[in-house]
Amino acid sequence: MLLNLKGIFKWVQTGGARTFLLRDINLTVEEGGFISIMGPSGSGKSTLLNVIGMLDEFDEGEFLFLEEPVHQLKEKQRAALYKQYIGFVFQAYHLIDELTVYENIETPLIYQGIKKAERKALVADMLDRFNIVGKKDLFPTQLSGGQQQLVGIARALIGKPKLLLADEPTGNLNSSQGEEIMNLFRQLNKEGVTIIQVTHSEKNASHGQRIINLLDGRIE
Amino acid sequence: MIKNYFITAWRKLRKNKLYSVINIFGLSMGLTACLLIGIYIHHELSYDKFNKKADRIVRVTMESSFAGTVGTTATTGTKVGPQFKRTFPAVEEYVRTYVGHNVVKSGDKVFEEPQILYADPAFFKIFSFTLLKGDAASALDAPDKIVLTASTAKKYFGEEDPLNKTLASGGKDFRVSAICADVPQQSQVKFDFVTQFLNLGNGVQEETWWTANWITYLLLKDKNSIAALQGQVDAYMKTPAVRQDAELKGNDQLAYHLEPLTSVHLYSSLAGFEPNGNITYIYVFATIALLILIIACANYTNLATALSVGRTSEIGMRKVLGATRKQVFLQFIGESALMTGIATLLAFVLGILLLPYFNHITGKSFTADVFFQPGIILVLLLFAIGVSFFAGLYPAIVLSGTQIASILKKGFTFSGGRNTIRKGLIVIQFGISVFLISYTAIIMQQMHFMQTKNLGYDKDHITVLPIGGNMLRNFQSLKDAFQQVPGVQSVTAAYETPEFVEWSDGITAVDEKGKHDISLNAMPVDLDFIKTMKMELVAGRDFQSSDFALMDTSHNGDHYRQPYIINESLARKIGWTPENAIGRIIENRALGPIVGVVKDFNFSSLREPVGPLLIFLGRDFSRFFMARIEGNDMKATLGRLETVWKQRIPDRPFAYHFLDEDYNKLYQSEQRSAVLFSVAASLAIILACLGLFGLAAFTTLQRTKEIGIRRVLGANISSITFLVARNFLLLVSISIMVAVPVAWWAGNRWLEDFAFRVPLQVYVFVMAAVSTLLIALFTVGFHSVRAALSNPVHSLRSE
Repeated sequence: MLLNLKGIFKWVQTGGARTFLLRDINLTVEEGGFISIMGPSGSGKSTLLNVIGMLDEFDEGEFLFLEEPVHQLKEKQRAALYKQYIGFVFQAYHLIDELTVYENIETPLIYQGIKKAERKALVADMLDRFNIVGKKDLFPTQLSGGQQQLVGIARALIGKPKLLLADEPTGNLNSSQGEEIMNLFRQLNKEGVTIIQVTHSEKNASHGQRIINLLDGRIE
Repeated sequence: MIKNYFITAWRKLRKNKLYSVINIFGLSMGLTACLLIGIYIHHELSYDKFNKKADRIVRVTMESSFAGTVGTTATTGTKVGPQFKRTFPAVEEYVRTYVGHNVVKSGDKVFEEPQILYADPAFFKIFSFTLLKGDAASALDAPDKIVLTASTAKKYFGEEDPLNKTLASGGKDFRVSAICADVPQQSQVKFDFVTQFLNLGNGVQEETWWTANWITYLLLKDKNSIAALQGQVDAYMKTPAVRQDAELKGNDQLAYHLEPLTSVHLYSSLAGFEPNGNITYIYVFATIALLILIIACANYTNLATALSVGRTSEIGMRKVLGATRKQVFLQFIGESALMTGIATLLAFVLGILLLPYFNHITGKSFTADVFFQPGIILVLLLFAIGVSFFAGLYPAIVLSGTQIASILKKGFTFSGGRNTIRKGLIVIQFGISVFLISYTAIIMQQMHFMQTKNLGYDKDHITVLPIGGNMLRNFQSLKDAFQQVPGVQSVTAAYETPEFVEWSDGITAVDEKGKHDISLNAMPVDLDFIKTMKMELVAGRDFQSSDFALMDTSHNGDHYRQPYIINESLARKIGWTPENAIGRIIENRALGPIVGVVKDFNFSSLREPVGPLLIFLGRDFSRFFMARIEGNDMKATLGRLETVWKQRIPDRPFAYHFLDEDYNKLYQSEQRSAVLFSVAASLAIILACLGLFGLAAFTTLQRTKEIGIRRVLGANISSITFLVARNFLLLVSISIMVAVPVAWWAGNRWLEDFAFRVPLQVYVFVMAAVSTLLIALFTVGFHSVRAALSNPVHSLRSE
């Protein structure tokens, strides 16, 4: 078991009343899973993904990640946990504009304190694998959306995460680029990376083994 | 890791060229100002400290109270040095000094030399002037020996070995006994030549307490004995034998004060060879440097924060990728260090480039070498580190604290609540600017007032020609010759020029109410003085040729009568009306009648009220001819004067200057601070506007969406412009309200130093306030108009 959510609630206080973003979420994800979260706008998809990614807090419930009780961990320990095991992919790519493709992919390794020679080897492998060696010295703005997302995924994978979280990874891409990314995800999944993606598209969702439908912060 | 930060910082810098340029430029201007002022302060503080025995050298000043009036001078009589050495075991050596001017000749080279130092033989033992050639012990041991500075030697002898060469001056031949390195700028004693003190002539052979024209320095055996020696001197000067020797009667007092050499320049109120610096100005300069630096740092902080709006996504992303808060914090400090580093280098270059202008303002002559002293470089480096830390601190704290989740929520903006610090910085910046602008305006007004004030005489178009050599002997014929030059209206002569009369003296007057002893200033003049100076007589007449008949030296001078002109103040002080004073007999050099009363004119700095003044006919004292020439075609008139001079006085160079130059020299330090303040004020307002520009850009960005909505709802451009500009103008108004009273107070303090001064006028402050507001409005207006003109479709486009 990779992670387990038990009775997760998240709310915001508006006036005297609570507006619930997540309501009694119970979810277990096994290693090697490929899960798609679907639901209309405002149903809490992204919030759930952020909670799983430990980027956002929740108000009630228990969260076990690799047997660690996340809800009891301190900020620093949580950060250490997600740094080691989780990679993120975003709809808007969120590449650092001032860094080249190479440097973008390298950045997480720098923060992990990995030596330069080793970084070089790891990044070279990744560039090779994604077929973007020729683009390593370009800046993000010089790439197409699909290429940028490839770099984004490469960056997410460089730390060898167990879990890849993707928030509408194809949302800004055209259908053929989207298809490519989905194929890549399937490939990664086969290699053992657990993937949780948020998506609007039935077609993309179908790539996963399991679909979770959210409505008003509740799993349907 | 650090490399990664610098790469990002550098690329960011290049991407936002405008901001980077503004930022670096602003910071380097601030640093340049600090650097230059720092060098100036360092220079002033190190005055005289090159003397190895500086802590054992004291200058002796004299305080005399005579007939109830206290006078203090930096000069003393010839007796002080030798007598103190004989009397007090604590005194190791003494040197009496005087700097005179004379014509010096060697072969065909003739120059009027203004810096000839006359000093006792111990001079080189007491002061640490380096002798390049010759021996300190014997350099001044014979009356015909003369020491030259290296550049003077070069001027007269070129590349030849100057030792034992001969120079002629004042009808005597001198032998060059030693060559001294050029005098350091930080020396209160400056000279081109040194020769024996006793060469000053008959007046100095005898030791006397009075005729205090010489500056005496003592070398003590122990640096801790100054206080003890002072006590001994005080007691000694009160002993009856000494009082009798000094011809002191009744309540008269004569006292000497010992000033440590190193505190003379900045702390003494008595100028010696040169006008002193002033520790107050050091504080003022330091404050200005600090204020400018604060403004520049505040700018950096403001602009960096403004720039970082677009960076929240980068920071968030870095955090998602595993950066800790500390790492992000260090990244921003690093960026600040990069900016400051570039700015510091630039400041260094700017400093060197601006050095000539800086020298012009300060009247010093720094060379680029001063920048390369290890001390200066070290301080600058520490400064840069400090600035990069403090300027980068706020953006670093704010941005490193960005919550990760915020990056994932689209449309994230900086929270507005934290603007307090930035607003505070703007208020401080503009406060400083308004203060400097109003203060500068006050100084300028006073300067203008001093330039144009009716002094009681007309200082313009008066040519001053120094008298020397045989000129006194041929006085009348020379005067006639000058008088006949076309374009010369009138010629006179005097001991001192009228803008600054230093001769102090006293008179005794007897009338119905009794005897009056009065201390005053006096000036010996030639005929036509009142006329040439265009002074106004309120009673009586100017001196005339028949007055010479009164000065009858036959019969042992028994019938000698000295004619006098007094000023109104003197008449008032004795209690006479001007009309009443005419014909009365007073005694100064001799008994004599008052022939005229002149309307009060400013014969001292405008800091002082006009005191009593005695003018007496004394052509033999004359040191300057003063010729009033016609205002048109002065050049031709001067050319004709020169021709006459060359014919009549071939052995002396034609060296003239104008009286108004002398006058302006009196206010050199005010003139300098006026320039300094105006530079500082301009710098402050420019820097503050850069900061405002940055903050306006920032705020406008923040409010893009709001502005878009307002536009859609029908707001017109002017209302939007006003909306954006309003807050800034409010901030600037707050600064004005804070700064104006401070400037009012400070301006008043400064003006209080002047007996003759302009009143503080409200319009100065109104002008400073309005111009600051306008400049600010213009700066902010750029952004607000741009925001107002932008198409709301863009700003409202959804995520």
